[in-house]
Amino acid sequence: MFDLLRKELCLAVHPSLYVFIFLGALVLVPAYPYGVVFFFAMLGIFQSMMYARETRDIYFTALLPVRKRDVVKAKLLLAAFAQLSQLLLSIPFAFLRTLYLSEGNPAGIEANVAYYGFGLMIFGVFNLVFFTRFFKTAYKAGAAFLIALIPSTICIFAMEAVVHFPGMEWLDGISPELLLRQIPVLLAGIVIYAAAWFLAYTAGAQRFSQVDL
Amino acid sequence: MNALRIEDLTKTYPQFTLDKVSFTLERGRIMGLIGKNGAGKTTTLKSILNLVSPDSGTIEILGLPSPARELECKQKLGVVLGGIDFYRDKKLTAITSVTRRFYRRWDETAYRRYLDEFSIDPGKRVRELSAGMRVKYLIALALSHHAELFIFDEPTSGLDPVSRDELLTIFRALTADGTRSILYSTHITSDLEKCADDITYIKDGKILSSAEKGVFLRSFQHLHTPEDAAPLTLEDIMVRTERREFHV
Repeated sequence: MFDLLRKELCLAVHPSLYVFIFLGALVLVPAYPYGVVFFFAMLGIFQSMMYARETRDIYFTALLPVRKRDVVKAKLLLAAFAQLSQLLLSIPFAFLRTLYLSEGNPAGIEANVAYYGFGLMIFGVFNLVFFTRFFKTAYKAGAAFLIALIPSTICIFAMEAVVHFPGMEWLDGISPELLLRQIPVLLAGIVIYAAAWFLAYTAGAQRFSQVDL
Repeated sequence: MNALRIEDLTKTYPQFTLDKVSFTLERGRIMGLIGKNGAGKTTTLKSILNLVSPDSGTIEILGLPSPARELECKQKLGVVLGGIDFYRDKKLTAITSVTRRFYRRWDETAYRRYLDEFSIDPGKRVRELSAGMRVKYLIALALSHHAELFIFDEPTSGLDPVSRDELLTIFRALTADGTRSILYSTHITSDLEKCADDITYIKDGKILSSAEKGVFLRSFQHLHTPEDAAPLTLEDIMVRTERREFHV
C-alpha cells in the first residue's frame, strides 16, 4: 500500500495538488465560505487524474506486479492523502482563527468540529461518485468530475445553509461546550468517509476490471 | 516448461473478434507475432498482460495460470509497448526508484550494469531519450528484476536501421542462455527474419499458422510463383496472403 502511494506522489500527482492542499489555510480568511476549501481539494484530485491520463500512469501501474484493482486503490490512496492532509493542515489555522477572529463567520459555517465532520462527508460523497464513474472508462475524468460536483456542491451548500436554520446555530459555534456537542458530527463524518472510500474502491475496482486498456 | 501457452483465447468487440487464438512459446526462444493492422496482435498481447479481459480461453505464463496468479506472473514479465511513453517529464532515476520497490528480485547492481551497457544516462528525462533509448531503458528495467518472459509490442517501429539492429542484437543476447523468452509483435518482418526462432501469423483475429520459422516459411511455399527468383520472405507471405482486389 505504501509503495502504491509513493508511486502516486513521485510520478502520478500533478504539482498543483500540493497548492490545493495548502489552501486549507483559507479557514483563516475572515467572512469566507469555507466549503470552498473542499472544492479546491476536489479540483486538485481531478487535475491529478487528468495528468495521470496524459502521462499513461494507469497503463504503467497496471503493468507493475500489482493486481488490476490496485490501480484503483492507488488513486483512492492519493485522494485520501490529499483530502486528509488538507483537513489536518487547516486545523492550526482554525485555532488561530478562534484566537484572533472570534466574532464568527458571517459568510457561512465556522471552521469548527462540525465543519470537519461535514468536510469528511462531502469528500466521501465526492470519492464515491467520482471514482466509480471515472473507472468505468479510466480516461473520462472530465465527465466524472462534473457529475461528482453535483452532489458535492449540494452538500457544500447544505452545510453552509444549515447553520442559519432556527435551532441549528449550535453547529456554528466555537465555544468549548458547543465544540463538544459537535463531536457526533465529526464521528459521523469519519464513518461516512471511511465507508464511502471503501465502497468507491470496491465499485471502482469492479468497474475497472471490465475496462480494456 | 513453456514460457507461454495460450489456448482458445477469445475476445469479442462490436467490430472485431479474437477467435480461439492458441499458440505456445518455448523457453529460450523468440517468437514473432505478425499480422496486418487490426489483426489482433495487440489484443492478444494485452490479454496476456491482463490489460484486456478476454471472454474465454487459457493463458499460462511460465507454468502459472493468468490472471489467477497475476502477481507472480507479472514479477516474471518484462514489457515494452512501442509508441507508449510513460511519464515523459520524469527523470529515469525517479521512475526506477518507484519501480524497483514492486519487484522482489530487483538487482541494483545489474541495473547499473545494464545502464552502462546501453549507455543510458539515468539523470535524463524520458522525453530527452531517443525512441531506441526508451526501449533500451525498459529492457534494462526488465532485466534488473530478472524477467523471464519479455513481451514486446512493436518495439522497433519508428527506429532507424542502426538502432533496430542494436536492439535485435540485444534480443538475441537476451535469449542466448535459454532461460529467457521473447514474444515480439512487429510489422517489420525483416527484423524477424534476422532474430525470430518461431513465427505466429494472426489474420482477422484467427491464427493462420504458428511454427518454427523454417517450417513456417516452407508451409507458405504454395504462394511461390515461377517469377520469384528467391524463396519467399515473411513480407512476401504476408502481402500475398492479405492481398485484396479493389474495384474503384
